[in-house]
Amino acid sequence: MNSKRFISLLSTIIIALLLITGCGREGSISKPPGDNGMEAVSQGFNPDTDFDQILEEAKGNTVNFYGWGGDEDRNKWLRQTVAPILKEKYDITLEVVGMDIDDILAKLAGEKQAGLEQGTIDMIWINGENFYSAKENDLLFGPFIEKLPNFEKYIDSEDEEIKYDFGFPIEGYEAPYGRAQMVFINDSAITGETPRNTDEFMEYCKKYEGKVTYPALPDFTGSAFVRTLIHDIVGHEQFSDMEADKEVVKKAIEPALEYLRELNKYLWNQGKTFPATSGEVDNMFEDGELVMTMSYGSYSVAVGKEKGIYSNTVRTFIFDRGTVGNTNYIAIAKNSPNKAAAMVAINAIISAEIQATQFEELRTLPIVSYDKLTDEEKARFDNVDMGEGVLPQDELLDKRLPEMPANIVPIVEEIWLEEVVGK
Amino acid sequence: MNKKTPYILIMPIVLLGVIFIFGVVNGIIQSFGYIPAFNLVNVTLSYYKEILSDPTFLDSLKVSLQISVISSVLAAILGIILTAALVYTGHTEGRVLQVIKLAIIIPHTIVALFSISILSQNGLLARVFYRSGLINTQRGFPLLLYTKNNLGIILGYIWKEVPFVAYFSLALMSGINNTLGEASENLGASKLKTFLYIILPLSMPAIRKAFLIILTFSFGAYDLPFLLGATVPKALPVQAHIEYIHPNLRHRPYTMAINGLILAVTWAMAGIYYLVTKKGRVKGDIHEEF
Repeated sequence: MNSKRFISLLSTIIIALLLITGCGREGSISKPPGDNGMEAVSQGFNPDTDFDQILEEAKGNTVNFYGWGGDEDRNKWLRQTVAPILKEKYDITLEVVGMDIDDILAKLAGEKQAGLEQGTIDMIWINGENFYSAKENDLLFGPFIEKLPNFEKYIDSEDEEIKYDFGFPIEGYEAPYGRAQMVFINDSAITGETPRNTDEFMEYCKKYEGKVTYPALPDFTGSAFVRTLIHDIVGHEQFSDMEADKEVVKKAIEPALEYLRELNKYLWNQGKTFPATSGEVDNMFEDGELVMTMSYGSYSVAVGKEKGIYSNTVRTFIFDRGTVGNTNYIAIAKNSPNKAAAMVAINAIISAEIQATQFEELRTLPIVSYDKLTDEEKARFDNVDMGEGVLPQDELLDKRLPEMPANIVPIVEEIWLEEVVGK
Repeated sequence: MNKKTPYILIMPIVLLGVIFIFGVVNGIIQSFGYIPAFNLVNVTLSYYKEILSDPTFLDSLKVSLQISVISSVLAAILGIILTAALVYTGHTEGRVLQVIKLAIIIPHTIVALFSISILSQNGLLARVFYRSGLINTQRGFPLLLYTKNNLGIILGYIWKEVPFVAYFSLALMSGINNTLGEASENLGASKLKTFLYIILPLSMPAIRKAFLIILTFSFGAYDLPFLLGATVPKALPVQAHIEYIHPNLRHRPYTMAINGLILAVTWAMAGIYYLVTKKGRVKGDIHEEF
């Protein structure tokens, strides 16, 4: 290579580099038109400001709501019900961006590493170990929930699930959004039984050998299912203050591990492998390859029947001692460019009005405290037709087991991969 | 055409290249435990050490090597046969080529979907066999996907890569066939002999390159092993992703160390390829074309 060529190549690379860094710098200083004043405001945004003033600041802004986008019904609800209410009442535009929570955290972490003070994410649908990690790594804005008028008005601040998310103190860094609870699903026309505890479940799997399985951990649903089995075998109380140490956890769940290994013999493909996602397990159930599936959406049977996916004989059941349930939340990103609008939007989402539409359209258990509702609001919740083949709300809430602390969950998942699969 | 034109034309690729290299370097730095944003500032080799002594990693490495070597060798052989068939039947351009291109365009995730709907115990083949009475229950159909021997993944890669090898080596092989191949046949060599002694050896550079590409790709790709693989052991890229989505962000260096090792293995493959081909290279021969 002669020197002239070399110099040309070098200058090409240098120009390319300049372009990249140039773009980067441009990105950080460019602002949406008309946003000049806003930056200063949200940079030093103070959640203690009077809420009326926050409402004023929020006007005309757009909030980006990032969260799992795999549920078409929820996306539709956000776009067609929530967004118009926010626009009409508060002049806020809601943009819904579907993204897996792992990617959201990776994006936030990347923005933090790059030192970007004006990020792209405002609101995040989050809970559990992801909240724990995001808060620990200073990716979230807060505390803010006590500044929301509707928090005081509608929410029971003494509720364990409002104070703790998977055993980890929330401290005002996320607002409740909806409640979920693990349920089991099978078809009474195919299997008459609805196992009420782990022993009966073992018998069930023996009877329908090779036709039961669950999603491989760390799938969200699979992980919750295994935690439900663990709770049924060794109880749930001991985990609340357990040290997040692999040996300690392993010792505590050993009887459950033994049970799971025994169970393997009767599972699909003898428990040598498990489907990677809950979507696959659902498909296999719909196709008749499995006789049972499980869901973290308590009313997914009713929704499935309305869509014609499930036949009329499909029903929901849970263990006598209950199944794990959790609340999911909305947090605000630390580098959110529109914190005021995000707070206003969240305040609206925790209102009885929007929670009622969520209950009606998605059958997501509401997070508002029933006792705090007016008679009119109570009637609205009471009159929702829950659909066929589901369990009533009070039975679910009655048999609701708390989730393990966020830092124990990944340890259980790791142990499962080492001690259960194919063993 | 101005003298500067070529440099302007390669600008986009240089741009992308620089971004890519920046990402790789960043990942490698993180693999040594340096991520100030998460309060990790001590540069250490301990993540690599831990991973290299972790049986899960070693199993994953084995799985990935097994998948990539088996699928690439088979794909190369079948690809050569396909190319030869195309060359000898005169289908070196036109519609057949479009079909081959189509197979290259189809993403791996779609291939996984095909595989599931055709090869699973609930798939098309199992149903056909069951209906026609060849097996008693659909479960009697052999389990091809999600197994420890990774048959499903290997089949998926072969499906994708055979057309790639063919497309990659077609032009060269057909060129040789038209020139040296014909000369050889004119001089009295049989078709088979011409193929084995003239065409195949001269086409090897393209085939070898195609082989290297599919070998390194299938070693580092994520989609097929994730969708069609066994729960344990997982292929390396899937294992890396599992570590990546670990909720504890301070776990990140483990991911990057796995990625670093994937990179190292890939480089080793390329290095071996370089050494092997260097020996046999003759200056100025037809190889240089590719």
